[in-house]
Amino acid sequence: MKHEEYKELLEVAALDALDAAERRALEAHLVECATCPAEADAWREVAAALALPIMPVKPTAAMRERLLEAIRTQSPPVRAIAAPGAQTNGEHAAAQTSNVVSLDSRRERRGVLISKPLLTFGSIAASVAIAALAVTLALLWSQNKALQTQLARASDSLRQNEQEIGSLRADRELLAAPDARTVALAGTKDATTAQARLTYDQRTGRAMLVAANLPPVPAGKAYQLWFIAGGKPLPGGLFRPDANGRAELRGTVPTAGRRADTFAVTLEPQDGVPAPTGSMYLLSAAS
Amino acid sequence: MSEEPQTSDTELLHAIARGDELALAALYDRYSSILLGLILRILHNRPEAEDVLQEMFLQVWRRAADFDEARGRGFTWLVTLARSRAIDRLRAVASRERAATAAMHESHGDVSDASDDVLRSEQAEIVRRALDGIPEEQRRALVLAYYEGLTQSEIAERLKQPLGTVKTRMRSGMIKLRELLGEQMRSVRIGS
Repeated sequence: MKHEEYKELLEVAALDALDAAERRALEAHLVECATCPAEADAWREVAAALALPIMPVKPTAAMRERLLEAIRTQSPPVRAIAAPGAQTNGEHAAAQTSNVVSLDSRRERRGVLISKPLLTFGSIAASVAIAALAVTLALLWSQNKALQTQLARASDSLRQNEQEIGSLRADRELLAAPDARTVALAGTKDATTAQARLTYDQRTGRAMLVAANLPPVPAGKAYQLWFIAGGKPLPGGLFRPDANGRAELRGTVPTAGRRADTFAVTLEPQDGVPAPTGSMYLLSAAS
Repeated sequence: MSEEPQTSDTELLHAIARGDELALAALYDRYSSILLGLILRILHNRPEAEDVLQEMFLQVWRRAADFDEARGRGFTWLVTLARSRAIDRLRAVASRERAATAAMHESHGDVSDASDDVLRSEQAEIVRRALDGIPEEQRRALVLAYYEGLTQSEIAERLKQPLGTVKTRMRSGMIKLRELLGEQMRSVRIGS
């Protein structure tokens, strides 16, 4: 469509009566045209006059209350971002003409036809200000996202550190406990280089097993610790070594197990068993 | 020229943009009746019209900073917001329901009552006289667009006229309206 054709849509557009396709086409033209936006505004002024002869309908007092209540709970209004060039020039241009449709005597100096070059300058100034604002917002937004990600990462690692510190503190307390007992376990013929150390507090039963050089565990299996008191094995915790054959197990030794004379580790189904069934990999020297 | 004691619409809108709740209340007291009348005229449904009025004033509260006095009067800005929201609502309503409403309303003789409404002000009287001065078929098209929220295609269908004819009538009607409003303003100004 040519400029002239768009211009002929402005009167109907001011009545909000364009069909959707024409309306969209005109909106696109208004973005790029130097003169049509001011004319569109002028036609809006004419159309708005048509609201005046309508019979007013007074809203209820409750509606007013609801509105004022609503704005109190809403965030404050969006602030104007000044585009000084646009505003000043617009004012100036408006004062120059007097082709007026104004119905408000206070505003009768307002022009309907705004001078083109000034308006164009104002529009450009406004566009530049808006573009700058958009870029600023985009930057702030991405900075904000980056900070949020960093913060989330920091708080994750803080949480991890706290957990580590917690478990280190528990280990230290265990090692420093007056009733702590440490037992060395040596590898059997199935794991000759394996070794482990079990430390437990005889009073509270809190225990830590650290093992090294354990053979890898087949799927569905796990190592299980046993406390053997008077030839009778009591089941303990289950664990799997890492790729380097290392394992740590923390838990509590049951009261009966604290009197054990022998400690052993066997390979069992991963959910554990009440009595040992598999091969033994670690065994303490009988005390 | 500026002897009226009340704060101008522009000043109120600037104050609202600064977060002044009292200014919003003042603007509401000044225009809520006429705007509700306008919205109701388009929607023919009181609860919906009240809902739109509420939304619209919330929008005024949030977006008052968008108002640019260099582009037009505060009243025009409010009316444009109100109509735009009312028309969005109207066009969202199912076409079946809408046709029924429109048909019902037509039986009341919708064309002339825009100018038959009780006039509340000198300004309304000016507009009424201007409307009266517009040729009947042009006025009819303007009234269907402005007060019923119909698009030009819908008006063509309603009036059983070719779309091109309706477009021409609407444009001519607007041009005539602007001319008559200008004349009326001049005569009022001279008389006062």
